[in-house]
Amino acid sequence: MSKLVTLTIDGKQIQVPAGTLVINAAKQAGIEIPSFCYYDGLSLQGACRMCLVEVERVPKLMTACTLPVAEGMVVRTNTPQVIEARKAMLEFLLTNHPLDCPVCDKGGECELQDMAFRYGAGEGRFVEFKYHVPEKQWSPVVYYDAPRCILCYRCVRICDEGLGVNALGVVNRGVRSEIAPNRGDHLECDECGMCIDICPVGALTSGTYRYQTRPWEMSHVGTICTFCADGCKTTLGVRNGIIIRANNRDRSGINDEFLCIKGRFAFDFVHHPERLTRPLIRTLSGFREASWAEAIELVAERFEQARQQGGRIGLIGSTRTTNEENYFLQKLLRQGLGSNHIDHRQSGDLVSLLMATRGREGALATTADLYHASGILILGADLSQQHPLLAFQIRANYRHHRARVYVVTRGPVREDQIAARSLRVAPGQELEALESLRTELQGLPDLVVLYGDSIKGSAVARLVQWCDSLAIAVRYVCLLDDANSRGALDMGLVPDWLPGYRSLDQMNLQPGLCWEEMLESEELEVLWVVGANPLRRRHLKRRPWLVVQELFLTETAQQADVVLPAASAYEKRGTFTSVCGELQQLQPAAQVPGAKTDLEIASLIALQLGLELGPADPDELLGEIHRTVDGYNVDLPLVAAGAAVPTGPYPDVAAVAVRVDKIRSREDTLFTAGSLGQRSQVLTSVREAPGSLYRG
Amino acid sequence: MARKISILQAAAAITKGLGVTLREMLSPAVTEEYPDAPPSFEARYRGRHILRRDENGLEKCVACFLCAAACPVQCIYIEAAENTAEQRFSGSERYAKVYNIDYSRCIFCGYCVEACPTDAIVHGHGFELANYHTSALVMRKEDLLEPWPKQADVALPELERKVS
Amino acid sequence: MSPRLYNEPSPLEVKILTRRFGLPNSQSIDTYLATGGYEAFRKALEMTPEEIIEEVKASNLRGRGGAGFPTGMKWGFVPRESPLPKYVVVNADEGEPGTCKDRLLMEHDPHQLLEGMLIAARAVGAERGYIYIRGEYRYLIEILDRAIGEAYERGFLGDNILGTGMRFHVYTHSGAGSYECGEESALLESLEGKRGVPRIRPPFPATAGLFQCPTVLNNVETFCAIPAIIRDGGKAFAALGTPRNGGTRLFCISGHVNRPGVYELPMGFNLLRMIHEVAGGVRDGRKLKAVIPGGSSCPVLKAEECDLPMDFDSVAQAGSMLGSGGVVVMDETTDMVRVAVRIAKFYQHESCGWCVPCREGTTWLRHLLTRIDQGIAKPSELDLVVEICNNMLGRTFCPLGDAAAMPIRSFVMKFREEFEARLRRPMVAVPDPDSLVVS
Repeated sequence: MSKLVTLTIDGKQIQVPAGTLVINAAKQAGIEIPSFCYYDGLSLQGACRMCLVEVERVPKLMTACTLPVAEGMVVRTNTPQVIEARKAMLEFLLTNHPLDCPVCDKGGECELQDMAFRYGAGEGRFVEFKYHVPEKQWSPVVYYDAPRCILCYRCVRICDEGLGVNALGVVNRGVRSEIAPNRGDHLECDECGMCIDICPVGALTSGTYRYQTRPWEMSHVGTICTFCADGCKTTLGVRNGIIIRANNRDRSGINDEFLCIKGRFAFDFVHHPERLTRPLIRTLSGFREASWAEAIELVAERFEQARQQGGRIGLIGSTRTTNEENYFLQKLLRQGLGSNHIDHRQSGDLVSLLMATRGREGALATTADLYHASGILILGADLSQQHPLLAFQIRANYRHHRARVYVVTRGPVREDQIAARSLRVAPGQELEALESLRTELQGLPDLVVLYGDSIKGSAVARLVQWCDSLAIAVRYVCLLDDANSRGALDMGLVPDWLPGYRSLDQMNLQPGLCWEEMLESEELEVLWVVGANPLRRRHLKRRPWLVVQELFLTETAQQADVVLPAASAYEKRGTFTSVCGELQQLQPAAQVPGAKTDLEIASLIALQLGLELGPADPDELLGEIHRTVDGYNVDLPLVAAGAAVPTGPYPDVAAVAVRVDKIRSREDTLFTAGSLGQRSQVLTSVREAPGSLYRG
Repeated sequence: MARKISILQAAAAITKGLGVTLREMLSPAVTEEYPDAPPSFEARYRGRHILRRDENGLEKCVACFLCAAACPVQCIYIEAAENTAEQRFSGSERYAKVYNIDYSRCIFCGYCVEACPTDAIVHGHGFELANYHTSALVMRKEDLLEPWPKQADVALPELERKVS
Repeated sequence: MSPRLYNEPSPLEVKILTRRFGLPNSQSIDTYLATGGYEAFRKALEMTPEEIIEEVKASNLRGRGGAGFPTGMKWGFVPRESPLPKYVVVNADEGEPGTCKDRLLMEHDPHQLLEGMLIAARAVGAERGYIYIRGEYRYLIEILDRAIGEAYERGFLGDNILGTGMRFHVYTHSGAGSYECGEESALLESLEGKRGVPRIRPPFPATAGLFQCPTVLNNVETFCAIPAIIRDGGKAFAALGTPRNGGTRLFCISGHVNRPGVYELPMGFNLLRMIHEVAGGVRDGRKLKAVIPGGSSCPVLKAEECDLPMDFDSVAQAGSMLGSGGVVVMDETTDMVRVAVRIAKFYQHESCGWCVPCREGTTWLRHLLTRIDQGIAKPSELDLVVEICNNMLGRTFCPLGDAAAMPIRSFVMKFREEFEARLRRPMVAVPDPDSLVVS
């Protein structure tokens, strides 16, 4: 902790750490100093001149955003001179700003509007012609209207400093200055839309939200992104049950305001015209639509048969269903149907890590740790493509704390830009290469290790052993693919352990079939697929009776005997666990008539089967998980309030034989996301869409 | 004595009252002959809304939603869309794809007219809104829009004078 | 080759920096060496860095670029011990309308500049120097490169200068025609290959300049004064000027005088004498109307305010600035409205666009003044001009905003009746303000 400095702002005496900027010190004192170009976490500009304040013994007004506090400093933010200067700056800003607020997408949530409202200059004295240039489209999702731009350079900085993409720059000078893509007339970037979000005015607007509605016409639903495993909070703007936009301007989640293209734009799969809305039953001539009652009755009948045959039923679960759904599904299968053939597509070896660090406190890193750790070691993963939030956190850590970043991957990655050392090795060879980093890593106070799917089984144990030999504090992140990949592992949606990584012995169960074995099994009568698409690249050896719960008619659903239309994560309540183990609550935003949540479907089936499995309400199930599952004994009111609550520890990790060859990442890029990604028009329409990993 | 005075007072009051009657008999009648004859309105009478067009026949409404925001009874529903080069509805970038006013809720307060930045929505003098079905009271953009080209029989002389 | 002299020297001049002007082959190192060249550097090699800085401090030399910051003090801010390399950078981006002295110094006597840089390098321990030359002065790069080549040949530059083991290399770098790059931090940005916009200060270049390394950054004329200071001693140089303004200075007298030109005069020389005795008086015997004393960014002085000594402090007291020494003389026929428009246009064109008040303010001023010039403005809008200027003053990121607002405000305030008369006059066809040249 640096030493404290005492200063006075508007007569209030406050103490802040040395080096704090006056604008932030004022914020601590509850005094607002307006600004456009100052942005927390980004480099300083001093360009908008809105934050001018009076400092005692300084003749000129000073910009509070570039002025560090000093002992005994006396700052005034409400003198006539300051008030007049603010008004003058607003008047200057408005001289060339078009008065098209009624058609501007930012109208209603525009910082310039707010400032003009609060600090005056609403009446213009500028009667000359305004300088006009036509609006430009830079990409399918980004439009730029130069006359509205106030040149705060936030977009340029967030793109360069925050994302490491550096796609934007400034061209021309003086009043003709404008922001321009470094590619001339178009963007080639992550298409994350951070520039749109961070724009204080309507200069940068979103191609999908464009002219759809106005901010106050939407209801805003804070939920968790359903794509990658990072667990970004996304606030969905919803009108008439239709999601219109996504952002996180309230900075409420672990991601602050960060979202990638998937979180910000790819929600459009929800309202895709091919969404299933009626249950389908296979007939000789193909599918026919059926009522829910008929479909559920049919499914329950088959399940009952399978149960009576000794549990000859298998379940392939999803990495995008909620914890409650996963918990209920495994309970239904294990307790209700007497089968342990339950699995999902595993994308990282977490259980080996838990076995290797059994009994340790704080072996798993949280998302916040990535921002605070003094050393980061990335093993076998292209974070910027696969885990954009984690990459963003690490970049912020490097920028603010000069973290030492080490990269060991098979090809160039964006993290090389900030890396102290980058090593290129073949997948699986990462551990051998580590030795050359030993002395450097030993010099660090603490380290966070992130490892991808190439490190699994005994390699994880060896990694932990090697890190132990460094004799420094090491925490780990096992990288996983999807929004609730972690939750599926935690909830025991696997044939090898029970929820909370407990041993199967506790229920006297034998390890069941994994999903690939299920597809080839001769003995299964019924295969139940919930939100997965295993038949995309594989075939059933002997066709069991197939029930599929899906949003779309995927390759798997096309072969099903019964297809039940499921709701997406944006339509339901429940919780997700992020890759770093934070438990977060989903809120229903969209409405797609006809679809039911997987929990509802499963509970209807259970009801039809006459099974007593306890409540099937998301909140009550979370309560049950809280009571019974290791690691989930967390502060539930906090979860309900929308916080990200770290889970763990897992005191009773079973010793299991890890099925190493079944663990594989789908290797999504920023622009792919399984069957959902294929149905997102935005993800498929941007020019970067056919991206690949390890391009740097 | 007291009795004499009260008689005089009564007589005076009757004369005064009859005087009013006589005066009103001689002044012109204000009675409207509606529905046999069209009613007359003050220029500012707030009747059914009219969505106006500009001199090129384009809709003035830019779907800014300010009328809907100002409406105290939430009777205005709008869906916005972007004009394209092929299909241009309004003079601005965006237009109202859907513009509904629910006259079962509207209280004719005129806030929408005040809020409108483009003078697109104004009150006309239409007042015969009664209907047997509330659903028929939801009027769509097509019902509210000023006809184009302007027709003599639906011209709005009062309104024209007032607004333009 | 002997460069052309643009004006006859005046007998009143004190020729220190310009003493080689007019000599045959004054650009060549032979002429330079024959006239005492590089002696000061040899002397500096014998001195300790502290002694050099003390000598410069004793000379009372103040930066000749416009701000007038004491040079010795500036050099003293450069940290002695630094793990980072240090740099010497010459600001030869002479963009101020009305100023044309650096051009002559580089054209006539490039080695004097190199010697000044060498002494500065010796004083702060720099091993690399850059001369950042205005884009329009392209032909000077050739002259300087030739001089640098000669200096390398004779061992005044290189890895082992004169066998002393001192290292110093000099490079020329051309700007691209931006006035803003004459501002020191924007110059450094441009020199680093970035967009020429100013930096947040502090840190100042002395501690974090070029490539964030300690940097000595001075004007051409400042460096050119160094050899004389070291050769003859700081006290002798200081004695030429007034107590707080040491030495001589090159004044660029332009406008309505009979003998416009660059004259080296002691600091504190009277402005009226300068016009009448040095520059031969106002042309055609007309009356003096106004003078801009230090380049277009300085407030104008009315004729009756002109009887003052030309040093930083006296001119500041009179409400203007000595600036970069560009004395623009205007006779009674000058249309002050048109001058204001021309100045506004220049600064609007040159504003880099970084900060709001400068970017928008200069544009507004230009539009408004153009309208006033055309007679299509309300009289109250003259107050608006002053108010816009006041709103810009002291609130911009770098001095460019002030440089635009100060002169314009002074024109409107001091010649208000002329502006008002313009608004009473019926509108006339107006020639393009571009056709009027102030500099």
